[in-house]
Amino acid sequence: MNARSLRLGGTRRLPTTFLVARREVRMRLRSRVFIGGTIVMAVLVVVGIVAASLLAGRTTPLRVGFSGGSQALERSFTATAAALGANVTVSDIADVTAGKAQVTAGTLDVLVTGSETAPTAVAKAAIPSNVESALSMAAEAARLSDAGLSPAAVTSAMALVPVQLLQPPNPKNNENLFASLALGILLWIALGQYGNMVAQGVVEEKATRIMEILLATIQPSRLLAGKVIGIGLVGLLQLTIVGAAALVAVHVTNVAAIPALGVASILGDIFWFLLGFLFYATAYAAVASLVSRQEEVQSAVAPIGILQIAAYLLVYAALPNPTGPLATVCSLLPPFAPILMAVRMADIDVPFWQVGLAIALTVASIVGLTWLAGRIYANAAMRLGTRVRFMDAFRG
Amino acid sequence: MPDGMLEIDGLTRRYGDVVALDGLSFAVGAGELFGFVGRNGAGKTTTMRIVLGVLAADAGDVRFDGSPLTFESRRRIGYMPEERGLYPKMRVAEQLAYLGELHGMTDAAARASARHWLARFDLQERGDDELQSLSHGNQQRVQLAAALVFSPTVLVLDEPFAGLDPLAVDVMSAVLREQADAGIPVIFSSHELELVERLCDRVGIIDRGSIVACGTVDELRAGGRERRWVDVPEAPTGWDPQVPGTRLVQTVGSRSLFELDPGVDDQALLQAALATGPVREFEPVEPSLSELFRTVIEEAGG
Repeated sequence: MNARSLRLGGTRRLPTTFLVARREVRMRLRSRVFIGGTIVMAVLVVVGIVAASLLAGRTTPLRVGFSGGSQALERSFTATAAALGANVTVSDIADVTAGKAQVTAGTLDVLVTGSETAPTAVAKAAIPSNVESALSMAAEAARLSDAGLSPAAVTSAMALVPVQLLQPPNPKNNENLFASLALGILLWIALGQYGNMVAQGVVEEKATRIMEILLATIQPSRLLAGKVIGIGLVGLLQLTIVGAAALVAVHVTNVAAIPALGVASILGDIFWFLLGFLFYATAYAAVASLVSRQEEVQSAVAPIGILQIAAYLLVYAALPNPTGPLATVCSLLPPFAPILMAVRMADIDVPFWQVGLAIALTVASIVGLTWLAGRIYANAAMRLGTRVRFMDAFRG
Repeated sequence: MPDGMLEIDGLTRRYGDVVALDGLSFAVGAGELFGFVGRNGAGKTTTMRIVLGVLAADAGDVRFDGSPLTFESRRRIGYMPEERGLYPKMRVAEQLAYLGELHGMTDAAARASARHWLARFDLQERGDDELQSLSHGNQQRVQLAAALVFSPTVLVLDEPFAGLDPLAVDVMSAVLREQADAGIPVIFSSHELELVERLCDRVGIIDRGSIVACGTVDELRAGGRERRWVDVPEAPTGWDPQVPGTRLVQTVGSRSLFELDPGVDDQALLQAALATGPVREFEPVEPSLSELFRTVIEEAGG
């Protein structure tokens, strides 16, 4: 591949949609607003994650030091603590006074003193209850063993009560659901932003009157598709940069386990984001072409914003019962599918045909919307001044 | 029949109850520079927009080279709309190259052509500047370059001279003449009738949506009335011999301007003048395009 073809052009004639998209990408990547905005977003996300990790407190293991006779408890304490879900590390402390000094200084969290059967714990403030239970159980086992019970008898005496669940647990855990829900909602907000960007771009072309030159050489639907694709790619790049910054911050601060968001679930969210973007951006472009001035854009696109908020609220209405009729039907409808289906897929195993139907309906409506928007665009483009009524623009 | 001619045939267009174009027809041959004149709102811009396909006609055809314009053949028309429009924040050379590519050029050819036209308009230093940083006149030159960058087969320019300084007018005129001489039909609208008269091969006068006169300026003159300046120093003030078929238009000092009805012999007027004493001047006057324009519009009932 030579330098010429790398420049995406050279001696070939390129499709007009591609040219329009390429211009959008070039112009936006070069703009200070985009560069500054991306940096600010990345910084805010990283600051937010660091702040969350500081507020959420420790996620590092609790450091427990044992001195004297209690050191015999270390093994059984570690095992019991692990069974109770407490994250601990143990160490030997030679001198009790030095150990207390370490607790005061904060280099040690808990100091256990005394004998194997009658230990005492020293801590600066409260000890997590599961750590306290683990320590008590370890001491209790030591006392039973001391009273003459065989190791097998001690084990059976200390056995935890088994819990039988009548309702089988959700194979997709809660952490996964909430992470996916959070990502889905963030993407939904981003979608509104990029949709607005498309609307502003359309009105810019109308307000600067370049539309007349463009429409003399390119079909409106292609102009529109190029604009939507270009801004979509720029948005995706921006989200990738911010997302990468967020992942690095999460990894460094250890605030949450990254595998909570499986690769499949991230890809699913991004797929639905793209479909949602194509759907809404096309709608934003169509209504924006009805007005002529930047000041009028906000009121023109308001109905679409309301539709997006409705979809967002539907998520909360549908979430408690992801297999119910409301969730099922709404997750098939194009305006809501991109967020509802994404959330349902993170929550439960959605039947294959429902996913397929939702994708098919959304794609079909994007194609239809592009055609409709192109028609409105062409008819409304030449009318300046007053806002064009929808039906007038449709009829031409 | 391929003849490189742009034909506009029976265009009709209504905006609600307003008839903007009413069966408008004319043709511009290959290599011809055609001036399109008419009052504001007569339908010039509407006609050009229909030719470019940015507006649909209710009836009528636009043909080029003998066949109706298609989307592909329209893409080969260079267009300068009345409402100027380019991206204000895009760099000038990049913008021209982009428009060239949109019209079907390759990347390399579009860049080369953008450079060529910027040099032609003395803007080679401004290629990397944003359009909005250029003066109004220079933006107008870029706008013309945008219409020329892809070597169009037809040029349609709506008021290309509006707001230009005299030097820019000269450059614009030279380029339009060059393009026509290269063998393409060039049509432009203007209110600068002296310029149109000087520059155009043929002129079309449009009034209320239809062509009321069309031809070379000489042909238009032939249809108009002849005039004579008569200088009779001895005659009384306000002298008017009332020769049948003549009409006094104005008097300046001892000079009087008469208009003759078609076919009237000017010798009767000369004899009436000689009857007052010496005749210092008896001169036929060729009406300017402005005068022809007024006459034509008046006769059309304006």
